[in-house]
Amino acid sequence: MKQWIRWSGLLGFIAVTALLVVIFVLALPWLIKGSIEYIGTEVAGAKVSVDDVDVTFNPLGVTLNRLQVADAREPMRNLVEFTQADAQLELAPLLLGKGIIRDLGVSHLQFNTERTESGAIAKPTAEEVAAEAAKKAAEEPLVSVEDLPSADEILAREPLKTTAAGEAMEATYKQRKADVEAAAASVPSQADLAKYEAELKALTSGSFSSLEDFKQRKAKFDELKKRFKADQAAVQQARDVIQASRKDIQLAAANLKNAPGEDLAYLRDKYQLNASGAANITGLLFGDQAAEWASQALYWYELISPYLASDGEEESEVIEDSRLTGRFVHFPSNDPWPEFLIRNAHITGPFDGGYLVINGRDLTHQQDVTQRSSVLTITGDKLQRVGDLNSVITLDHRQQPATDSATLTISDWRLAPVNLGIAGAELASSRVQVKADAQVVAGKLNATADATVRDATFSGAGKTTFAREMNQALAGITEFTVNAGAKGNLLTPKIEFGSDLDKQLSKAFNQRIRAKQDELEAKLHTRLTAQIAQYGGDYAGELQQLAAMDGSMGDRFNALKDMAGQQLEDFTAQKEREAKAKVDAEKAAVQAKIDAEKAAAKAEADRKKKEAEQQAKDKLKKLF
Amino acid sequence: MLTMLAKLLKALNSESAPWQIALALTLSMIIGLTPLWSLHNIVILLLAMIIRVNLSAFFLGILVFTILGMAVVDIWSIQVGEALLTRPDLQAMWTELYAQDIWRMLAFNHTLTLGGLCIAAIAFIPVFFLSLVFVRLYRQRVLNWVNKLKITQMLKASNFYSLYQKFAE
Repeated sequence: MKQWIRWSGLLGFIAVTALLVVIFVLALPWLIKGSIEYIGTEVAGAKVSVDDVDVTFNPLGVTLNRLQVADAREPMRNLVEFTQADAQLELAPLLLGKGIIRDLGVSHLQFNTERTESGAIAKPTAEEVAAEAAKKAAEEPLVSVEDLPSADEILAREPLKTTAAGEAMEATYKQRKADVEAAAASVPSQADLAKYEAELKALTSGSFSSLEDFKQRKAKFDELKKRFKADQAAVQQARDVIQASRKDIQLAAANLKNAPGEDLAYLRDKYQLNASGAANITGLLFGDQAAEWASQALYWYELISPYLASDGEEESEVIEDSRLTGRFVHFPSNDPWPEFLIRNAHITGPFDGGYLVINGRDLTHQQDVTQRSSVLTITGDKLQRVGDLNSVITLDHRQQPATDSATLTISDWRLAPVNLGIAGAELASSRVQVKADAQVVAGKLNATADATVRDATFSGAGKTTFAREMNQALAGITEFTVNAGAKGNLLTPKIEFGSDLDKQLSKAFNQRIRAKQDELEAKLHTRLTAQIAQYGGDYAGELQQLAAMDGSMGDRFNALKDMAGQQLEDFTAQKEREAKAKVDAEKAAVQAKIDAEKAAAKAEADRKKKEAEQQAKDKLKKLF
Repeated sequence: MLTMLAKLLKALNSESAPWQIALALTLSMIIGLTPLWSLHNIVILLLAMIIRVNLSAFFLGILVFTILGMAVVDIWSIQVGEALLTRPDLQAMWTELYAQDIWRMLAFNHTLTLGGLCIAAIAFIPVFFLSLVFVRLYRQRVLNWVNKLKITQMLKASNFYSLYQKFAE
């Protein structure tokens, strides 16, 4: 047996093992500190620091003293810090490299605290700073109800269509007037037309005394016709210019006439005074503090959600990787060992003059191993302004799609004075009951919140009529409800607010807003009309004059056309016509003589016939 | 590395019993074919320290079998482990073992560990006897033949041989 056993080997093994354990134990606090700071900085994107780490062996545990996580968005602030954290570890899983924390106690957890030194891990470049400034500027509202500018300021600030249309009208009129004047100058006047008529009459009247006379007249006549044609073309051109000018000026005048209306519609839309601005006060009711809490909650959720997710793609990656390193196959158990698990966590931190107590259960990124969802319960203890605060957050990533849900109940929340942001009104005191629930399924948020505000008292320092009216309206309100809903993508949900406070205030708001809107619109209208007068002048009269000119040109054109249509009679034709006329006259005289003789003969015959008849009648009478 | 190889050659050429060298190589096979930082490997190391096996052969064997495992055997080990751990008729047994911390500390539910251990267990006795035969054959036939080789003569004139001699003394 002695030949088989090497006792010195056993001693060596024990000595080496002990040495390794001692080295490991001594180095462990530094290893843990370094790991937390390195991994934490990687995850948070800002400096993570731990003052010191203590390791205990019975029970096996780690104590972290003062951990600070800087805020990557604001490096001079901590996202979170705590004074002390005690974690009791389980040895068996630790030997397999699995961090199973049986109990975690964190005391004095605080959010959004100040730092003495910057927690930034890399300085932002000048471009990033400029981009951030531009983003902030873009996020700021252009116009608020409080900052509503006056009519004069609006007119001075805005590029108005009325101004542009007025200037266009002025330019068009000047240009067209010059065109019309130039065209009219080249057109024959009425005197010219009368002269043309006289000349034409002289040429066409009377008979040609001789062939030479005819030739002279013909030459003059042709010359006159050429002038008629040239003048006709000039008149036609002038008519075209006048008509085009009328059309352009009419169009510019119509634009100028419509511009104030369009400007008013644009200004009304931009400098909206409708009730939605005032109704948004429900969104402001819970103040900056509540907004900050919501922002923090969303930030943390975004931060941890990538580590909770275990969709199909990630699973396939793990299987791919496991070809080289193998994988752990897990079986149903009451005591599962994922890579990291906090079985129970008890976290406290100062909040609202008391404490916020957060209890966590089964907090892990491998819920497929634990087969239990992670649950956080948050309660308030000895809070100053809140009676009861209870919240339950359940992160269920056991199956796809992952479902995360949260419920929140707050009772007797005494809101700090909340500036309503309008007319100096303030919700001075109130008691709020809130009931909210939210669910995130596959990155889609569906949240609702109902709040009942009781014992509400409003105050207001505003001295304007509107402020007084509003304060009077608010004075009669002691209880109202607020409903909020958020749906859609987690990062860009569609948020809706509703409240019966809106309804209660709606009448007062609407009356005042309508009056103020009307007042502003009336002022704008007056100013815009004045601008039209400045640019416009009596364009209607000018247009009428152009129409008359167009008519006159038409008359002249027709006169010239008629004159140009006249023809000078041919010399031979005139002579033939005159000879024919003479023959015709002689024929007519002969015929007249014949007709007179025929008439005299006929009269004589008739007289003789009547005498014979009379004699016959007398003879007949004598017989009887 | 050279030192370790020299020690192995010394062991092969020395009066060490063949079983000491064979058992060292066989034990090293278990460590080489399974993940190094496993609890069972501490037990194997303890055995190697307590039993009078040849430690040079043991440590060199770990190196050789680790390379062999990474190059060839690990893929088979994972397949064997995966097949065993997902066999429906073994689920009850695995679930029972999973409920006990000691078994989970042994990482029985890790595919590479279980598969590697199974292959090493199956190969344990054959590898032991093959190693035994190899050592005996080496001493009977190969050693004399090797000593006569020109290359061996050349090696004897080298620094490596000086080192070997140092350990042989």
